[in-house]
Amino acid sequence: MRSLYSDRRTWLHAVPAGAKLLAIAVLGTAFFAVDRPAWLAAGAAAVAAAFASLGPSVRPALRLVVSVSLAAGLVALFHALAGQPEVGLVSVLRLMSASLLGVMLTLTTRFDELLDVFETLLRPFDRLGLKTGRLALGLGLMLRFTEHFFVQWRRMDDAHRARTGRPGGFALLAPLTVRMLLTARRVADALAARLGG
Amino acid sequence: MTSAAPSRSLALVALFAALLAVFGLIPKIDLPFGVPITIQTLGVMLAGCLLAPRQACQALLLFLAAVAMGLPLLSGGRGGLGVFVAPSGGFLVGMLFGAVATSWVMRALPGQGPRRLALRAFAAAVAGGIAVEYAFGIAGLVLLAKLSPWQATVASLAFVPGDLVKCGLCALVVHTVARSVPDWSFGGRTAA
Repeated sequence: MRSLYSDRRTWLHAVPAGAKLLAIAVLGTAFFAVDRPAWLAAGAAAVAAAFASLGPSVRPALRLVVSVSLAAGLVALFHALAGQPEVGLVSVLRLMSASLLGVMLTLTTRFDELLDVFETLLRPFDRLGLKTGRLALGLGLMLRFTEHFFVQWRRMDDAHRARTGRPGGFALLAPLTVRMLLTARRVADALAARLGG
Repeated sequence: MTSAAPSRSLALVALFAALLAVFGLIPKIDLPFGVPITIQTLGVMLAGCLLAPRQACQALLLFLAAVAMGLPLLSGGRGGLGVFVAPSGGFLVGMLFGAVATSWVMRALPGQGPRRLALRAFAAAVAGGIAVEYAFGIAGLVLLAKLSPWQATVASLAFVPGDLVKCGLCALVVHTVARSVPDWSFGGRTAA
């Protein structure tokens, strides 16, 4: 499982994860609060410039950016056809800037840094009975299982191909789910034994 | 089976979050307006049918938290905070409420035995996976892409046939599960 994180260091890698999240929250809200096209265009240009300043590190995210741009283009086209090109321009500028901000955070922040920020933010809820330590365990389990089940899926697909000469497709959904539920029980037993209840 | 013990519950929650991710690894087809058609929503329906409402909610929260932190778990390898403000962002938030609604309906409907359970699952999937999910998705298109409610509804309706097929698949899976794991508590309700 590869994250979209880019190993190539940039100036944004050095900024603490909490500060970046805060900046996104503030800027994101600002983009949705303002509706003057000129201001939005200036903001979008600033975001685009910041994005470009990351240089070659943005490569892993380029496909994502292209798909968001296509979606934004379709929204613009829709509004243009409906006779409101200005509304279209405003929403495209908003969507593009907000998405680029999110992509920049993802590219320059390691997964465990974000997890730390999350746990810190959730700490007040500890008193309300939410186990924040379980969040990290849950995420770890989930990633491990994702890989496990993807491998199982491919193995079952191969077996199906060997028997019938066709890919398994939807016929594998039910057996995969049943297998998953049985694994869930075994893992639940193991966890209960390990963590005590 | 669904004991209240938190670590047992955690294993189930993590497993269903993983199932959602696995369904996302299967390739997607893109339709206009940037809303992709995937079997990821099938994971939402299944989580609703096979888990208690509270667990379904936790499984979706775990999955969406991992997505928000930048793991490319959404179909087509998308992830990060950006996807929540993309035109289809409403459908992402809708996944959470859709799964919980599916679980509620699944729990509320009567009937035991594989065939009845499959019917219950179909009804629950239509209510949660289509009605609730689309309500949020359409609201998202209106708020984020500034479409009018009418335009957003028309644009979204194109996906309903595909999602009805997924409801059918969900019912079939529940039917198989009911036969293979007879003591599973569907919707968090203990089997009679």
